[in-house]
Amino acid sequence: MVKRKLGALEKVEADLPNLQHKIRRDPKSYIEDFRAQHYQYESHREIFMAAPSSATDTGVISLRDLIDFISHVADCYPGICKDFPQQLIDMLMQHHLVLETELREKLVGSLVLLKKKDLMDSATLLHTLFPILISTPSKTLRALLFQKILSELRTANSKTTNHKLNRTMQTVLFNLVTSDRTSAKGLWAIKITRELWKRQIWTEAKAVEIMKEAALSQNEKVIIGGVRFFLGGDKEREELEDEDSDEEVNVGQVKHQLTINKKTRKKARVAEKAIKAVRNKERKKGNPAPLNFSALHLLHDPQGFADNMFFKHLQNGKSKLNLEQKLQVLQLVSRLVGLHKLHIMPLYSYFQKFLTPRQPSVTSFLASLAQASHDLVPPDVLEPLVQKIANEFVSEASAGEVATAGLNAIREICARQPLAIDETLLQDLVMYKKSKDKGVMMASKGLLSLYRDVGAQMLKKRDRGKEAAMSLRAGDRQERRYGEQAAGEIEGLELLAKWKDEERRKKNIENGLPSDAEDNEEENDEADWAAWNVEDDEDSDIDGEWINVEDDVEIVLSDSEDEGKPASKKAKQEEEAKKDAEKQAETDKAIDFMKLATTRILTPADLAKLTELRAQAAAEATLPGNKGRVAAPWTSRHTDDPLTAGEIEGLAALSAAKATREERIAHAKEGKTDRSEHMSKEARRKERKEEQGKSTTNKEKARKKNFLMTLGKARSKNKRSLVETRAVLKAHVDRGKRGGRRGNVGQ
Amino acid sequence: MGSSSKRKKDKQKDFQKPKLKVGKTKAKPDNYTDTSFKSKSIVLTQQSLHLSAPTSNATFTHNLSLLSAKSDSQRRDSLAYLTTTISSRPVNSPLPQPVSVILPSLLPLILDGTTSVRTQLLKLLRTLPPGDVEDHVAQLLPYVRAGMTHLAADIRSSAVEILSWMVEAAGESTVSCAGGWIKTLNCFLSVLGWHTEESSRWSSSRASFGKPGSQGKPMVKTLGALAMFLDAGIGKPSIGGVDSEMSGDDDESTDWPFPLCQTAQHMISDSSTPFAYLNLFGKPRDEEGEMYETREDRYRVFSTRFQPAIERGIKSAREEGGELGRASSGVSKVLKEAIAYGPGP
Repeated sequence: MVKRKLGALEKVEADLPNLQHKIRRDPKSYIEDFRAQHYQYESHREIFMAAPSSATDTGVISLRDLIDFISHVADCYPGICKDFPQQLIDMLMQHHLVLETELREKLVGSLVLLKKKDLMDSATLLHTLFPILISTPSKTLRALLFQKILSELRTANSKTTNHKLNRTMQTVLFNLVTSDRTSAKGLWAIKITRELWKRQIWTEAKAVEIMKEAALSQNEKVIIGGVRFFLGGDKEREELEDEDSDEEVNVGQVKHQLTINKKTRKKARVAEKAIKAVRNKERKKGNPAPLNFSALHLLHDPQGFADNMFFKHLQNGKSKLNLEQKLQVLQLVSRLVGLHKLHIMPLYSYFQKFLTPRQPSVTSFLASLAQASHDLVPPDVLEPLVQKIANEFVSEASAGEVATAGLNAIREICARQPLAIDETLLQDLVMYKKSKDKGVMMASKGLLSLYRDVGAQMLKKRDRGKEAAMSLRAGDRQERRYGEQAAGEIEGLELLAKWKDEERRKKNIENGLPSDAEDNEEENDEADWAAWNVEDDEDSDIDGEWINVEDDVEIVLSDSEDEGKPASKKAKQEEEAKKDAEKQAETDKAIDFMKLATTRILTPADLAKLTELRAQAAAEATLPGNKGRVAAPWTSRHTDDPLTAGEIEGLAALSAAKATREERIAHAKEGKTDRSEHMSKEARRKERKEEQGKSTTNKEKARKKNFLMTLGKARSKNKRSLVETRAVLKAHVDRGKRGGRRGNVGQ
Repeated sequence: MGSSSKRKKDKQKDFQKPKLKVGKTKAKPDNYTDTSFKSKSIVLTQQSLHLSAPTSNATFTHNLSLLSAKSDSQRRDSLAYLTTTISSRPVNSPLPQPVSVILPSLLPLILDGTTSVRTQLLKLLRTLPPGDVEDHVAQLLPYVRAGMTHLAADIRSSAVEILSWMVEAAGESTVSCAGGWIKTLNCFLSVLGWHTEESSRWSSSRASFGKPGSQGKPMVKTLGALAMFLDAGIGKPSIGGVDSEMSGDDDESTDWPFPLCQTAQHMISDSSTPFAYLNLFGKPRDEEGEMYETREDRYRVFSTRFQPAIERGIKSAREEGGELGRASSGVSKVLKEAIAYGPGP
């Protein structure tokens, strides 16, 4: 008998993918076949449920294939498959411990697929997957479930925030953390919350509350997970945001390449996608930036939280945390104290025993202490600590790094609470500015310049400096007493007031009025209201505008000899009178610009101008002439930023022994990571050109030409007659006049 | 080009003879492949060497374990061996292994992809004593149902054959076990394509999927099996026939001497699972998976759920004529008798 040739599909007896494909195209005609497969699935399920653990291989088709098949086409027959999701859920929930891995993964995948097809809601899916995530011993399954849960939450929140789902999920996580404080299961709550926080899906107080509870748990891993979130969660979020915005696509380049390269559908699609992405980004740029508070600000009852953390994990003798973990907790507590200006008095005495140079990672302790001090801490609590730091760290005998760290720590504490140090100690410490050690010297100078700002009268007269001494004599700078608060103000408002004044004066001059006349105030107001919207103003686009930086500011170097010149008595008197007048004017001005804030509503146009003026002022401040006004480092720090041990160590590297040549080179290279090797500017330019696929100049081509190819011409050049040479030179000159071989005569 | 001195040097390098040195190992050639490997442990597979030949019982067990072998010829041969052993054993002697041990390894073979294995399986099943099969019907049925709805037509038809064997061997328990009535009838409808009105009409171009199968006339065979199944389920109970429960009453009342009446009701039941219907240990059943133990129940379910579909199907089958029409007359005969008998006395 001749064997009949079999078609590819005939050979396969049970071809579910083929059936699936056909059902997708025409569900109505294949309903009987689907029903048969559904019955088969039912029978297989029955067999499986009778003995879930014994994975019997049932012939050609396994239960796994059937589940896969049905979940793919379930949306075509909702009537037949209405129990299907629930059956899968039951199977997974009851038997996930004994199921074979492939079937288990298939079940999870099918459930997610059914959710995608809207045959079940996401709350059910999450309620199924989450309990398994925290109870299963299988690592692979956990990884799979975690990923699925995250992606589910992300997709549920992709269009609009799904508040209901978020709330239920947060409640589940909260209960998980609070129900059993000793178990490590809370780690999953932390992982999920942190990931969603990072992606800005959860930004509300409830998520922070979960982390707060985690930080107060009794399991070390969970505690540290919670603490880490508070210390680094927001930074992570910002970094991710930056990363997202980093991917720049050059639309022009894409479009240009599309015209040159071979046109394929794929390339067109890529280009379209890139253009769309750019357009999306542009639209996003126009939107107001989402107002996201940091986790530390969203805490309810920070005082209670900080108290609890301190007494439970630090003060408590039974706490099992090791030093590193304790340091992290301490960092969090001190940050909370500094940020919210809390009062935990035992915290300061707790620091006392750690403030010795022999204590491991003492700089972290110092940084924490500095962080924990603020201007509402009673000075007599801080004073002994400062005294101890000075005694233990800062002495002629101690090593340079140690002294530097101590001085820096004292400076950081005093920047927050200037009253924490007494005069004699301060004057002692300032004396170290003459130290031979560079690090110590710099640290001491830092302390000095701080006190010139905040408490010049505590310094010795010769240390006060010109500005501080003058203002002290004038009496307009007074020591701030304990608990005294500066009046709140809008940053840069005086600039705005000044600018408005100038404008008015200009207008008045134009109108022929005396420059001081103020009778057209109402008119001005109206103009202001007309310019309510920033967008109406064509030229107020801040991003694109040039900031006016004056280039003719004279660089004035202070001459000490000039200062020392004794002025005549009369001149002195005059000067004093003038000074009084100035002072009067100045206070008037202060009142004046405060009036601007209290009597008028600032329009968006005003605010836009304000930011512009502020930027301008900042740019001017960086000019060398304004050296004195450059903001000191301790004022430029944002209150949200943490103080690190590195900052306390400061320039300690300078006090170490001289570095070897290799070290110095490595240190110099640190800043310039993007540069691979040293090359001339020209060479780098050439490389860049080559990278971009641009052509070379004729000169370069000539230079690169193979030597053998040039040889013939060079030889023949030698043998040319005088006439020939002349002709060639003539032609060359002529060509030059015409403008090249092709010439530009006709154009 | 090959004119530059560098290229010449390069070329020469290929033909240079490697220098061999005394006392040094020979250099490995360029295309040398390292085949050495490291292993933490060496496992010696155990060998079972015996001097004496294995007993027949041992070979039986061995062959039973071979039923899950990868090669289909191996499975078929083992099945053949088991069949001959069982059928050639002395009359009234027990099986080498109880049915409860044999059956679990036989069940997956109902869905086996190879035709010869399945035919051999049917032969083996036929040799099993019917009395023993009765208790295991509930295990068999899910596999049979899975086979009946299989994508491959061959597996479908052999599953139908197995079902007719089951009805022959243990009709009563087949129809009355959990899920045995509704689910099996559903499978029948789906095999025959009688579920909906359109799909049952012969003129409808029913896009049937899958290979038609090599053993022809599956419909005829299925109709025959359906007739048997219906007869077992809702057929008129014959005196002393299928329904032993009803006829047993009269006999037993005479068995016991006068003062004792209805004593048989109070004796220990002779069936293996007398309280199965209570479903004490399983998960709760739905309507389809429920046990329908009496003819009355089954008839009620049948008349509400299946009668119209089956009548419609029979009608269209009769219209089709030929062998199919003749086979359908068997079913209609059973149906008529059952309807004439009604819901029961």
